[in-house]
Amino acid sequence: MTAELSSPGRASAAQGLRNPWVAFLIRRLSWLVVSLWVVVTAAFLMIQLVPGDPVRAALGTSAPAELVQARRESLGLDDPLPTQYWNHLRSVLTGDFGTSMTTDLPVSQLVGDRLPTTVTLAALSFVVIILIAVPLGVTIAVLTRGARWRGGELAFTSASVVVAAIPEFLLAVGLVYVFAVTLGWFPVAGGDGMGAWVLPVASLSIGPAAVIARIVRVEVLAVLGQDFVRTARAKRLPPWRIYARHALPNALTATLTLTGLLLTGLVAGTVLVENVFALQGLGSTIVQSILQKDYPVVQGIVLVYGALVLLVNLVVDLVLAALDPRSTIREA
Amino acid sequence: MRSRRWMRVVTTPSGAVAVALLVLVIGLAILAPIIWGDAASEVNDSAPVQGPSSAHWAGTDALGRDIFYRVLVATRLSIELAVMASLLGVVVGTVVGTAPSVLPRWAGRWVSSAVNIAVAFPSLLLVLFFAVVFGVGTTGAVLAIGLAFAPGFARLTQTLSAAVVGRDFVAAARVAGVGRLRILVRHVLPNIGEPLVVNATINAGQALLAFAGLSFLGIGVQAPSYDWGRLLGEGLTQIYVNPAAALAPAVAVVIAGLAFNLLGETAAAVIGVRTGPTRSGPLPATPGRDEPIDASGDQPVLAVENLHVAFPRDGRWATPVRGISFAVRPGEFVGVVGESGSGKSVTALAVSRLIEHPGVVTADRLDFAGVPMLSTPERELRPLLGTSLAMVFQDPTTSFNPTRRVGRQLAEVAEQHQDLRRGPALARAVDRLRAVRIAAAERRAGQYPHEFSGGMRQRAMIGMGLMGTPKLVIADEPTTALDVTVQGQILRLLSEVRAETDAAILLISHDITVVAQTCSRILVMYAGRIVEDLPAADLTRTPRHPYTKALLAVVPDLATDREQPLVAIAGRPPAPEQIPAGCAFAARCPLADERCRTDDPALVQVAQLHRVACWHADDQHDQGTMG
Amino acid sequence: MSELRFEHVSVRYGSGRAALTAVDHVSLTVPSGQVVGLVGESGSGKSTLARAAVGLSPVAEGRVVLEGTDVRRLPRRHRPLQMVFQDPYSSLDPRMTIGQSVAEAMPRAAHGGRRGRRLEVARLLELVNLDPERVDMLPGELSGGQRQRVALARALAGRPEVIIADEITSALDVSVQGALLNVVRGLQRELGLSMLFISHNLAVVRYLSDVIAVMYLGRIVEVGPTLDVLSRPQHPYTRDLLAAASHTRHGLDDPLVSIADAEPADAEPADPHHPPAGCRYHPHCPIGPLVHADRRICVSADPAEGAEQRPHHAACHFTEGGEHLLNREEDRHVRGH
Repeated sequence: MTAELSSPGRASAAQGLRNPWVAFLIRRLSWLVVSLWVVVTAAFLMIQLVPGDPVRAALGTSAPAELVQARRESLGLDDPLPTQYWNHLRSVLTGDFGTSMTTDLPVSQLVGDRLPTTVTLAALSFVVIILIAVPLGVTIAVLTRGARWRGGELAFTSASVVVAAIPEFLLAVGLVYVFAVTLGWFPVAGGDGMGAWVLPVASLSIGPAAVIARIVRVEVLAVLGQDFVRTARAKRLPPWRIYARHALPNALTATLTLTGLLLTGLVAGTVLVENVFALQGLGSTIVQSILQKDYPVVQGIVLVYGALVLLVNLVVDLVLAALDPRSTIREA
Repeated sequence: MRSRRWMRVVTTPSGAVAVALLVLVIGLAILAPIIWGDAASEVNDSAPVQGPSSAHWAGTDALGRDIFYRVLVATRLSIELAVMASLLGVVVGTVVGTAPSVLPRWAGRWVSSAVNIAVAFPSLLLVLFFAVVFGVGTTGAVLAIGLAFAPGFARLTQTLSAAVVGRDFVAAARVAGVGRLRILVRHVLPNIGEPLVVNATINAGQALLAFAGLSFLGIGVQAPSYDWGRLLGEGLTQIYVNPAAALAPAVAVVIAGLAFNLLGETAAAVIGVRTGPTRSGPLPATPGRDEPIDASGDQPVLAVENLHVAFPRDGRWATPVRGISFAVRPGEFVGVVGESGSGKSVTALAVSRLIEHPGVVTADRLDFAGVPMLSTPERELRPLLGTSLAMVFQDPTTSFNPTRRVGRQLAEVAEQHQDLRRGPALARAVDRLRAVRIAAAERRAGQYPHEFSGGMRQRAMIGMGLMGTPKLVIADEPTTALDVTVQGQILRLLSEVRAETDAAILLISHDITVVAQTCSRILVMYAGRIVEDLPAADLTRTPRHPYTKALLAVVPDLATDREQPLVAIAGRPPAPEQIPAGCAFAARCPLADERCRTDDPALVQVAQLHRVACWHADDQHDQGTMG
Repeated sequence: MSELRFEHVSVRYGSGRAALTAVDHVSLTVPSGQVVGLVGESGSGKSTLARAAVGLSPVAEGRVVLEGTDVRRLPRRHRPLQMVFQDPYSSLDPRMTIGQSVAEAMPRAAHGGRRGRRLEVARLLELVNLDPERVDMLPGELSGGQRQRVALARALAGRPEVIIADEITSALDVSVQGALLNVVRGLQRELGLSMLFISHNLAVVRYLSDVIAVMYLGRIVEVGPTLDVLSRPQHPYTRDLLAAASHTRHGLDDPLVSIADAEPADAEPADPHHPPAGCRYHPHCPIGPLVHADRRICVSADPAEGAEQRPHHAACHFTEGGEHLLNREEDRHVRGH
C-alpha cells in the first residue's frame, strides 16, 4: 500500500520532469546553446585563422605602422588568446559586435539596417515556394500514382532536374535579361515598391520550388503506398477524401522536415541574389566586407546568419514535434 | 552485373543526354585552351564592349577580347576547380562519415555531433566562412568549397553506413571475429559505394555552380585568370550594352551543371528503384477450367468464377491468381490457406476490389451480395462495400493512419456511408470499440494508434468493419503479426462476430492449423490456383490433394515424434511469372507423372462439397481407404 | 564439448525515461552437447539475451561464461561461439558470393592456401546439404531456405563449440522449415554442438531441445527438461503458451470456445519500460490476484526470489508445492523483523 502511493507533492514535481514536452524542450534548447557556442567560437577563430595580420591586410601595405598598431589595440588583437576569447564571448552576449573597419559604424547598427531586407526576401520566397510546390507535387503524385501517365512523370522529373540545375544567381541573370532588359517590366536593380521584389523573389523561388515539388510528389506516392491508405480505400472513402484526410497530412509531416533545409538554403541564396539585384541586405554586405577585409563586419554577419539558421531549425523541430502525435511520448 | 546496371544508365534517354553533354564539356576542357587560348586573350582596343557579330559571336569585353572564345577556354579552369573541390569534399566527407564506425564509441559520438552541427549550416555560408579564413583567391575557394561540402557528404555516408551496419550480415561478421576496419572495407563500403558515387557526381555539379557563384561575387578566381563565374560577373555589368556577355557564360554553367546533375539523377533512379518497363502486351485471355459453383441453396454472398489477377513485370505478365472459382455463403467461415506466393492475399484484395493500377483483375463472374463488381462503376459500389464488406489486414500497426485518432478513423466510415454527423458517428465508433471488447472504449477512441497494443489495434480494425452491417469480413493473415497468446483472442473475436452478426468470414492464413480449427470450409491454394476445396471436418480425415496432405504433415506440433526427422516438401513454389505447363505442384509432388507435367488438372467435384485439382486424387483416395 | 553459462546477465538500453531493461538478471546454462530451447513472445528479451552472448548487445551486469572463460576475453579471431540470425535476407552480404561469406568466418590460420580454403568451403556447404557448385552464387539467387543453410555453414566455419540459433525458421515457409530443422538437428548430434535455440514456436522448440527455458518480460520464469516442462508446466505463463500452441492443433474438433478458459481477461501486454511490480505476470495470470483476490503476494513480492528452490526454478509463488516454500519465506520475514 505505502509503496504504491507517493506523496502528492513529490508526484507533481516528478510529473514536471517526466513530462515529455519539458524533457524535449530541455534537450532541444541545450542543443541550441551548444550550437550557438560553436558558432560564436567559429566566428572568433575565423579572424584568428586569417593568414598574416588581419589589420595590415585590411588597411593595405601602404598604411602607416602607427595606424595599424592603433587598430590592433582597439581590436584587442595583442591580448593573450584566452583574454581575447573571453572578451569576444562577453561582447557578443551584450550585443556588441565591434566596429566596422571601413565605415567606423557599430556592426550591430549595420546588421540592424541590413537584416530586414534579407529576412523579407527569404520569407517572401518561402511563401511563394510552398504555395507553388505543395499543390504541384500533390497533383503530379495523384496523376502519376501506380505507374499511371508515364509521359507526365518523365516530363515532370526532367523539367525539375533541369530547373534545379540552374542556380539562383544564373536564374536572376536570365530573368533580368528577359524582364528587365528586354521587356523592361521591372527594374534591373534597386527600385521601390512591390515591383522591385518580383525578380529577386522569383529567382530565389523557382529552383527550390522544383526540388520541393519533386520531394512532395515522392512523399505523397510513398504515403499512397502505405497500408493505412489501403485501409482507407477499404473503407470506401471517395478518392478526394483519401488524399485530403489521409495522404496529405502524412506527406506534409515528412515534407516539413525539409522546410528547415529549404529555409536555411534560402538564407544562403539571398547572398547571391542580393548581389545581382544590388539589394542592401546582409548578403551583399558580407561580400563587400570580405572583399574589403572588414573583418568585424564579416564576423558579425556570420554570427547573425548562424543564429538565424539555428533558430529556423529549432522552430521546424518544435512544429514537427507538435504535429506528430507519435513524438509526444506516451504517458505512464 | 554491376557494370550492366551502369550500362542501363547510359541507355536511358536522360542518361544518354547526360553522357553526351559530359563528353562535350570534358572535350572542351581539354581542347579549348589549346585551340583558342591565344584568341581568347587577344586584346583589341579598337572594339571594346561590342554586341554579337559574325567576328565575335558573343561580342567583346571591356578590353575588346572575344567573349565566346573566353567562355570556351574557361571550361578547363571551371571544370578543374569544380572537380578538385568536390574530390576534396568527397574524400574528407567519406573519411569523417565512416570514422564513427571505426573509432571507439565516445569518439564516434563526438564526430557525429560535430557533423550534425555543421550540416545545419547551408554550404554557401560555410564557403564564405572558409573564404575568409583561406583568403580570397583560387586556392582559398577550392578549399572553401571542398570543406563546405564535406559535412553534407559525411552525413550521407554516415546515414548509409548506419543502415548497412544495422543489418545482420555485419553482426554475423562481428561474431565471426572480423575487425572493424575490415568490416568497413569488405562489407560497408561496397554496399554504399553506388549511392556515394552517384552523390559525388551530383556534388561535382553543385561544386561547379558554387564556384561560379563565388567567382561571380569576386571572391573566387582572380584576374588575370578567368572562369565562367568571373566572366558572368564581368558580363552582368554590361548587360544593357551586350546581354550575350552575361548569357554566354550562364549557358555554359547551366550545361555543365546539368551534365553532372542529370547523370547523377539518372544513375540514382536506375540503381535505386527499378521502374519496370511499361508495356507488357495484351493480357492473354484464359477460359475457365474449374467446375462452376454449385448454384443451389442460398444466394452466395460472394461468388467468384474464373478470377485472374495479373501484374506487368519486366515486359511480361505475372499472374499471382490464375483462374479460381469459389463461393462464400451467408454465415459461412471459409479459410484460404497456402504458402507465401500462393496468391491468397492477392485473391483477398481482388475480391474486395482493392487491386490497384497497374494490376488487372478479370473474372467471368465476381458478385458481392448479388451485385456484379467488375461491371458496376466504383462510385455506385462504394456505399454497398463501405457498409457490407469489412477488411482486416495483416499488420495492425501500419494499417491505421498514425496521425489520426482511432475513434475518428472508425467514425469516418459512418460519416461517409451512413450520413451520420461527427458526434453520432463518434458515439457509434465508441460503441463498436466496446463491441470488440476494448476496455475504456471512450478514452481509447481519443487515442492515437501507437498508444494501442498490437492485439488491441487488430480489435479496433475489426470494430471498424463493424461500423456498418457486414455481410462478409475478409481477414488477411489477421494474427500473423501478433503473439501466440493474443492470436487466440483475435480468432475467437472473429468467431463471435460471425455468430452475432451472421456475417460470412473469409480468413486467409499461411498456417493450416489456424484455419483448420476456426473455419468450416477450407480452400487450399498453390501457385495461384485453388487445388482443393473441402469441409474443415474432412481436412485431417480425407484430404485428397498431395499438397494439402504435405501441408498437414510439415507442421510440427506438440505430439510430433522427436526421434523421426521432420517432414519437408522438397523444392519451392514457382514464381508467378514462371508458371510451368501442367500442374504447378508436379515438380515437388511424389505422385507426379507425365500427364501432370503437361496438363493442368481442373478443380472438379469428387464428393459432396469437396473439389480437388489433381490427376491422382482418386488413386490416392483409394490408397488412403485401403491403408 | 563446451558449456555456455549466463550468470545474472542484465542488458539495458537507453537511459532515464526511455530506459529499458531488456534482460533482467538472467541465469541460464546450456550444458555441453545439449540443446536448450528458449521460448517467449516478441519483446520478452530472448533475442537480446542471445546477442549478449556474442557481444552484439551490451551486458550491463553479470557475465557470459564459456567453459570457464568470460566470452568478452575470448581471442578475437577464434570464436567458439557462433550465431545464426533470423532473417536470411539480411544476414548475408548481398555483394559477396556465398563462398566468400563462408570463407570469411573461417579462422585465418586454418586451411592454408586458397585451395585449402575452397575445399573447406565446399565441405561446409555439403554439410548443410547445399550443392558445392553454388559456391560462386550471390545470395540474391538463392531461396530463403537455402540462404539460411549458407548462414548455418558460415556459423560452422568458425569451428564453434556453441551455436546460437535465433528464430532461424520464422522467416521461412512451413514447407521448407522442416528440412532446415532436420539439418540443424543432424549437425548438432553429429558434431556434439551445444546449442541455444530460440523460437516463439513451442512445437519447434519441443522437437529440438533437451531443455526448455521460458522467458517473459526479460526474465526466465521457468526452466527444465523439455518433456517435463511440457507435461508438468509450473508457471501459469508456460501453461498459457502451451494452451495457445495446442489449441491450434488439437482444437480441430473442439469448438473454439475452449480457448477462452485459460484467459481471465484480454488484458494488455505489459510495457517493458514499466514492468509490473511483484510478479511480472500478475496482470494476466489466471491463478493470480485477478482471480484470487487474496493473492496479494503476487503484487508485492518478486517471485524470482527463491525460484531456485521451486520445481523448474519457476518464478511463481503458487507452483505445485510452492505454497509450502512461501510460508517458509514469510516465516523468515517475520523472524527478520
